[in-house]
Amino acid sequence: MSQPRRGIALLAIGAVCLVSGCREGRTIRWDQPPAGTAVAQVDSATAARNAAMEPGALTTVQTMPVVRWKGPGGRPFEVGRRSGAPEAGYTRLFGTITLPIALRSRAASLNQYPCTSCHQGQKIVMENKRIGDAHQNIKPVHPDQTGAVCATCHSSNDVETLTLKSGERASLDESYRLCAQCHFSQADAWAGGAHGKRLDGWEGRRVVMACPDCHNPHDPSVKVLIPFRAPQLERTGGHAP
Amino acid sequence: MHIRPFLAQALRSVTSGDRTYHLWMGSLTAIMLLGGYAYIVQAEHGLIVTGMNNHVSWGLYISNMAFLVGVAAAAVILVLPAYILHDVDFSRAVLIAEGVAVSALVMCLGFVMANSPGYPWKWWRLTPVIGLLNWPDSMLAWDVIMLNGYLVLNLAIPLYILYSHYTGHEPSKKKYVPLIYVSVVWAVSIHLVTAFLFAGLPARPFWNSALLGPRFLASAFTAGPAFMILLLGFIRSHSKYDIPDVAIQKLATATTVAAQANLVMLLSEVIYEFYQPTHHSMSARYLFFGLGEHNALVPWIRTGILLNIGATFTLMIHPLRHNMRVLMAACAVLFFGIWVEKGIGLVIPGFIPSPLGEIVEYTPTWVELCVTAGIWAMGLFVLTILVRVALPIELGEARSPFLEQPPAPRATRPRAAPRQYDNVRRARSR
Amino acid sequence: MSADPVPDLPPGVDDGTLLQKPVDRREALGLLMAGLAAGAAAASACTPLNASTPEQRELKLLEWQEFTQKHYRRMTEAERAETIQRLERLAKIRHNEDATIATTDAQPGVLFGYAFNVSKCKGYRRCVEACINENNLDRHQDTQYIRIFEMENGVVNLDEADPTYQHEVPLEGHFYLGTQCFQCANPPCVPVCPVGATWQEPDGIVVIDYNWCVGCRACMAACPYWARRFNWSAPDVPPEEVNPNQHYLGNRDRKKGCVEKCTFCIHRTREGRLPACAEACPTGARVFGNLLDPDSEIRWVLAHKTVFRLKEELGTEPRFWYFSD
Repeated sequence: MSQPRRGIALLAIGAVCLVSGCREGRTIRWDQPPAGTAVAQVDSATAARNAAMEPGALTTVQTMPVVRWKGPGGRPFEVGRRSGAPEAGYTRLFGTITLPIALRSRAASLNQYPCTSCHQGQKIVMENKRIGDAHQNIKPVHPDQTGAVCATCHSSNDVETLTLKSGERASLDESYRLCAQCHFSQADAWAGGAHGKRLDGWEGRRVVMACPDCHNPHDPSVKVLIPFRAPQLERTGGHAP
Repeated sequence: MHIRPFLAQALRSVTSGDRTYHLWMGSLTAIMLLGGYAYIVQAEHGLIVTGMNNHVSWGLYISNMAFLVGVAAAAVILVLPAYILHDVDFSRAVLIAEGVAVSALVMCLGFVMANSPGYPWKWWRLTPVIGLLNWPDSMLAWDVIMLNGYLVLNLAIPLYILYSHYTGHEPSKKKYVPLIYVSVVWAVSIHLVTAFLFAGLPARPFWNSALLGPRFLASAFTAGPAFMILLLGFIRSHSKYDIPDVAIQKLATATTVAAQANLVMLLSEVIYEFYQPTHHSMSARYLFFGLGEHNALVPWIRTGILLNIGATFTLMIHPLRHNMRVLMAACAVLFFGIWVEKGIGLVIPGFIPSPLGEIVEYTPTWVELCVTAGIWAMGLFVLTILVRVALPIELGEARSPFLEQPPAPRATRPRAAPRQYDNVRRARSR
Repeated sequence: MSADPVPDLPPGVDDGTLLQKPVDRREALGLLMAGLAAGAAAASACTPLNASTPEQRELKLLEWQEFTQKHYRRMTEAERAETIQRLERLAKIRHNEDATIATTDAQPGVLFGYAFNVSKCKGYRRCVEACINENNLDRHQDTQYIRIFEMENGVVNLDEADPTYQHEVPLEGHFYLGTQCFQCANPPCVPVCPVGATWQEPDGIVVIDYNWCVGCRACMAACPYWARRFNWSAPDVPPEEVNPNQHYLGNRDRKKGCVEKCTFCIHRTREGRLPACAEACPTGARVFGNLLDPDSEIRWVLAHKTVFRLKEELGTEPRFWYFSD
């Protein structure tokens, strides 16, 4: 009689051990690969190929290298150009629909009002911030708040060129240099990847959006919008009769 | 050798009966057909026809499954004393208890099948070797093994004993006693594993409690014996199969003790949840008091607990417990009360609110209700068949025609196996 | 006493046992199927049994093969190709869509991580919109992988948050927090599956073999972040809106009765692209990258920002962080 009893006791203990111990010692940290997966290292050739990859729609974007800022690990990165082909904007295809990925795509408005169509080769005195009827699309909220005038940012003799505090000129595509004069912590986060937006591809060439792609320089705060429709909680399953 | 007459005898027992019996089986069949229709509707359209949703992703099916596993496990309360402790009083009830276990398991498996949309043969993926059984990681895989194993055990043991009696042999202890030992451990494990299925999920604080396993056992040993008392009482008054008062009273005592333990555990849960309510008490708050306008379960759980308390206190008073009518009524109330407490009050509130705090309530649809009723009818159908087959054999009315000398009817003497145990016991004490 | 050795194997890695097994397993399967055939015949009584046209007959055959197909991780390369071909053909017959289903494996040395900037998110839900379109989510049941919670300043409590806001955003005095599958390092949803239909890929993405899933929903009960969704009915996506760029473990056609979840857009991210939600976000609140690359943006965020994760006390180690400016 004791033989089966002992057997059953052993069986029960075994079962309990299996149940209680099955998760122990298997927990892994977020930076470890899943259990049972060999940590495969990427060889240098693959790494080089990956670094030059142009995933998705990256090929259609004109870019220029970012100067004076480096990405994480000292890697150089690029910024999408606005003046090159602004009509392309930053819209992307998701499934079969196209969504603008900038909060406020300024490409269209820039295309509609190229400054040089009026101001070609003229020297404009921009000592105050009075904006005439020709600039109804510009609401100088940011200058109002900061006490800036047009000439604080725009070059007097070439409105499509920016002027930095040092007197140095910068193109509209280098707007980040202008913004970073005050918003230096944002610029650091932007270079590091916490602020701003990377265009397609988590690997391969790093192309990021420039400051004015999201923030209207004259009115940079985020605008109120109607969100995409809300989830309908009661529609996610069966319907009560 | 005796198999064909045995089967013929079984068929005869099942198909012959008075009008009430046929009416009973007929109505069960009708309910099963209705359930089958509802099942086909759900298999064709998907579970969209049920009240379940992404928030409350388990409903009536798993609730009933959790409850019925307990009923099945409770057979051990008779098997253990009858076979291992050699309690003669239980010797006649134990086959019935095993029949209850089998029918409860049939229902459990039915509910597991019903819980997954589509047709049941897709579960071939669970078969080891050709499929993939994620054992020992998955508690559900454990549960599937446990339920099926327990079903086999509870079919094999009584079938062997019945068949032996039918053919006039004494069942060989060497053959069935090891199985009895396994089934005793198995019975406790099946319900614990079912509890672990819920208790092992930190995602749901309402279930993630060390008390859940013991509480499952306590409620199982309340509801199971309560049902068996009802059934034995019925059999006693409607057949020649005599079950001694003392057996029913012993069962009633066990039920009372388990019901008390269950109330104690309920109390400690309530204190745990509400003395210093935390974020983890949300589900309990929803269950007992409701969250804002969401309070669908409140009347249920309050009724269930009141019934449980009432029935438990009734059973605690000796004269009342010894009164057969009061006992039967209290057991019926207790059975229903535990079903509410464990069926409705355990699985569903675990999902409300969702882990992200969204509150979506659950109301079963007609499809779910029909499938559930159909599965219950199937269980009762199976139970009726098993009892109908067992009784004539145990009464000695049915014997293999190949026997040269039919033994005397068994109703007049205690079953042989326990008597032998008695001899063994006496021999040992010497 | 260990589990079936297969679940620990990364896909595409075939040791000898896997290569030897198919023959006898197939035979065994055939035997089992013969037994099941009678039952299956009864099942198909509800669908037109008299498959008269060649196309109907082909559909019947393909459905049968689909029903008996192997676990994705046990398939050889050839079987994978065969399966993909069959699924593409089925998509054509069933929905008249020309889908391309990829089986791209995880890149070596890659572990995906995600960071969410709670001070940048303004609750526009463009990520939700992009996710629905990119992943062919069921329009009828309004399946959404992403939830955006509107919370009052001063409290981080999902119970008091509002996920169903429908007004102009951002709302004064509120902030927004988005959830989706966090691809936990210790996913509680994986071990509970009785048939091993869900597992973690070497790049950290927790995936489901939709054809292997039996629909028991144990994983949904186990997920502390409510990241899994069930196909309560056959998913309904307008044919003209179906994204044909698909992955076997991702956005391909799901069946009714299987669980699905966010896969960090496995069909995009394994090709070096960003998940749809990260790319669609108009405010740049979403940062995605390789955790094993110390010079990635995600690692920069982890190193330079104060981050937190949801329900960290559960030990799930989500690969999804929240941070603020």
